[in-house]
Amino acid sequence: MKTWLQTTPLVLVATAVLVGLAAVSLASGDVRLSPAQLVDGLLRRDELAATILWQIRLPRVLVAMLVGAALSASGLVMQAYFRNSLASPGLLGVSAGGAAGAVVAIGFGWVGFSLLTVPLMAVAGALVATGAVLMLARRGASTERLLLAGVALNALLGAVTSYVLSAHTTTYERTAQVLFWLLGGLEDRTWEHVVMAAPILLAGALLLPLGRPMDLLSLGAAEAQSLGVDVRRVRRWLLGLSTVLTALATAAAGTVGFVGLIVPHILRLLVGPEHRRLVPLSLVAGAAFVVGCDLLGRAAGGLRLGIVTALVGGPFFLWLLRREER
Amino acid sequence: MNAGALSLKNVAVPGRLHALSLEFAPGKMVGLVGPNGSGKSTLLSVAAGLLQPAAGGEVFWSGERLAGIPVIERGRRAAWVPQEARFEFGFSVRAVVGQGRYAHGDDTAGVAEAMARFDLERIAERPVNRLSGGERHRVLLARAWATGAALQLWDEPLAALDPRHGLETLMLGRELTRGGRTLVFSLHDLRVAHCLDEVVVLHEGRLRAAGKPEAVLTPELLREVFGVTARVESGLTLFL
Repeated sequence: MKTWLQTTPLVLVATAVLVGLAAVSLASGDVRLSPAQLVDGLLRRDELAATILWQIRLPRVLVAMLVGAALSASGLVMQAYFRNSLASPGLLGVSAGGAAGAVVAIGFGWVGFSLLTVPLMAVAGALVATGAVLMLARRGASTERLLLAGVALNALLGAVTSYVLSAHTTTYERTAQVLFWLLGGLEDRTWEHVVMAAPILLAGALLLPLGRPMDLLSLGAAEAQSLGVDVRRVRRWLLGLSTVLTALATAAAGTVGFVGLIVPHILRLLVGPEHRRLVPLSLVAGAAFVVGCDLLGRAAGGLRLGIVTALVGGPFFLWLLRREER
Repeated sequence: MNAGALSLKNVAVPGRLHALSLEFAPGKMVGLVGPNGSGKSTLLSVAAGLLQPAAGGEVFWSGERLAGIPVIERGRRAAWVPQEARFEFGFSVRAVVGQGRYAHGDDTAGVAEAMARFDLERIAERPVNRLSGGERHRVLLARAWATGAALQLWDEPLAALDPRHGLETLMLGRELTRGGRTLVFSLHDLRVAHCLDEVVVLHEGRLRAAGKPEAVLTPELLREVFGVTARVESGLTLFL
């Protein structure tokens, strides 16, 4: 109860930041919209503004929010699961697995079957990657082992993606699509992509009650079990949800790195390590972070989202590694 | 049958523990002794329900089959303290001690008292990953205390503690058992073992002896199990 009271204001602050960034993002672009035009457009009272917002900018911002929430929460869960604050979907190769799955679906032309093909294949690919990480690095594994497993997986899954890419280079459009997955981006996102990523909301909601067990688990599985946590069940949920979150984010926006590493870390520095706070906050703050990065990339003349998060996240990761050493 | 606080029936763990049966009465303070690798930690893990014994072995808590007790209820009935206290994340001491209340559905009841018992009040808000080894161990002991569990299983609680906190921990253990709880813990200090109600001696994964310390800790057994020459005089083990 007490934690809940302490968490609500923090979530509200993060939500305010998110809404502010989203509003700026919706208003800026080739056609700048004033606050009044923004409101009129959203309410469909101004036809031009409405077209720009509802056709182009709103889907893009919504996908950005969902992707950010998913990657950030997924990173938080992986860090608790592996008891290692350097674990994240990108570094462990789970994102690469999702991308490989999606690329296989697109490359072989399975997309025609159903809108669900790409996200489902992304989930399949991410699950394969998660399984491989589990085999290569056991829980509580050292940072070195975990990261090396990630390096190997990223290389392997990157090769799968590149193979599919090179096998289909004759088709220009497919190649362009495949490239899009690898770089990660929010260009040309439509309502289809919003629908594809929408289950992220459900997966995020399912994570909310797992905050306290995550606290116990992050300090040791045997200890958690002895204190009454059904470790096997909680672990299955955590791993399943984080994999699905990463896969859906990847299916909607390609491989976007470092979000799952940076956001949980900054939040831990700000509000401490308790997951009852971190889970809701990571969802909202992750969304705000990606909307912000997208805004930054657009302001810088159209840098892709994956490039912006890497430019921000790479140095941050190196700084973290140095800090770990001490 | 199985009326004890903790009963192990024909419990074995392949490669680590040969089949053994033991019975621990309520209100007893029991020491597990034996050289490194003799199976003390394994025995405690099995007793805590964290390690499944091989087929044919069974653990009972207060006469009830452990396998049939739901995980959440186990958290209220027994507390286990690991030998190693490693924390990746910077939870406050108070938060970690509060985790002992997980199975009760709260995180405050008895937490302040548990912290006071283990001399943690001064460092209540410090992050656990910045504490010394001994301080981390006291956090885990306080968390076990906060569970209020009737069965306490501690793996080498004294190894990392300074003399004062070691002595205080023993006195707290005695307080628990006087209140009818059962404490089973592993230790290496045989002089301490003499002060306990019962001692269980393990050697190479086998149960070597169990009973009152004066009956069990004989010079012959000490030589055979530990390879040390010792004399026992008025309840004290003197190494020669």
